[in-house]
Amino acid sequence: MLKLKGIEEVYYPQTIKETVDILRSHGDLAEVVGGGLDISVFPNPRIKFLIFLDNLNLSYVKDSSEGIKIGAMTTITNLIESELIKDYMGGSMHSILPEIATELLRNQITIGGSLGKREPYSDIVTLLYGLNGKIVLSDGEWDEIVSINDFYKENFKRLLKERIIKEVIIEKYTKDYFFSMKRYVRNATDIALFNMAILLKTEGNEIISARVVAGSRPKPAYLMQEAGEFLKGKELSEDLAEEFGKFVEEHIEVGTDTRTTEEYRKNLSHVYAKRILLEAMEAAK
Amino acid sequence: MKVKYIINGKEEEYEIHPGEVLLDVLRRNGHSEIKGNCYLGTCGACTVLIDGEPHTSCTILAAKVNGKHITTIKGIGDLNNPHPLQKAFVDVGAVQCGFCTPGTILSAYALLKKNPNPTDEDIKKALDGNLCRCTGYVQQVEAVKFAVKLLKEGKDE
Repeated sequence: MLKLKGIEEVYYPQTIKETVDILRSHGDLAEVVGGGLDISVFPNPRIKFLIFLDNLNLSYVKDSSEGIKIGAMTTITNLIESELIKDYMGGSMHSILPEIATELLRNQITIGGSLGKREPYSDIVTLLYGLNGKIVLSDGEWDEIVSINDFYKENFKRLLKERIIKEVIIEKYTKDYFFSMKRYVRNATDIALFNMAILLKTEGNEIISARVVAGSRPKPAYLMQEAGEFLKGKELSEDLAEEFGKFVEEHIEVGTDTRTTEEYRKNLSHVYAKRILLEAMEAAK
Repeated sequence: MKVKYIINGKEEEYEIHPGEVLLDVLRRNGHSEIKGNCYLGTCGACTVLIDGEPHTSCTILAAKVNGKHITTIKGIGDLNNPHPLQKAFVDVGAVQCGFCTPGTILSAYALLKKNPNPTDEDIKKALDGNLCRCTGYVQQVEAVKFAVKLLKEGKDE
């Protein structure tokens, strides 16, 4: 079944500069391929040129003074196998990764591809957005570091016609931070009906700052700023967890699609928001 | 365009359309042991190993894996000399219609290469992308565990 009938030529650049030169020369007719899952499942008939990044050595997870750097071509499996990720945030990032997709697809889905596509159901976007990851955009001559939040505020698909995602950097948070992510699926291999990631900074029981990201709602993941504001300065407690659940359910922007309803997603948001705060309370003990 | 692969240890060169997926290229060139079904990466029937790692060949662009080592079910054993996993699937009754079997065995093969002593949970996780609609999964897990036993007894590749 030939889905990508319009493809005329493919490229295997050796450098980011060469990649960007090809991208610029073909404009909207060219597409950079990460793992290639999205383009093969949802082909864009306008695309005539594919640019494979496999020769750019962008598959890595490494420690640096700026944080943990994850190359754009790193797959979910690579992340699962990384010792750095196993230990990161007490293992809370690592624990969610084997739940995403299937072994076969985890071998194909790349971090750069996930961020660059921002598919509504992406768990990787919610995860890295929740961790306040920074994207390194590069044209091969200079790199620009932007927060995922700022990246998505821009016309990021347009930005990716001039540059590529080289890597993402996640901060090495100190022990006073807590992170957890939840995703709801009907069966083990389903795509998420809803997902939520929360990053908290605490001092004892007091919440100093909070970052709440929700995705698969069915729109793409977004930063729920009012939920972060709600938690700021409050003391972790069971009552707060319930109040927070109610607040999130009331304020979250979710909708209905063929897979589930707005009401159901709101209920899920309540449960997950509450559950994550209870986990944070346990961790703070 | 032309691509080269090393398939089951043998170098092969094919003429392909640059937008084709690997599954179509391999089947067109005689590798009918790879099954095709969903073209969405959800059923796993088309699983092959690319440089030893299991992938759904229906979602991998053939041009992207130019030059890679590809292993199909025929690459790990045959009727006369089956791999312990192939033998175990037959002996334990983990095969019914057989459509999903090549992909499932290849996923199990990749697991055992990485982890020769998997738990039930490891096996289930490794096979989670290979759907079976007739045999069910209990026998498949048992078959992988039996293959582990056979491998330990020295009946390895």
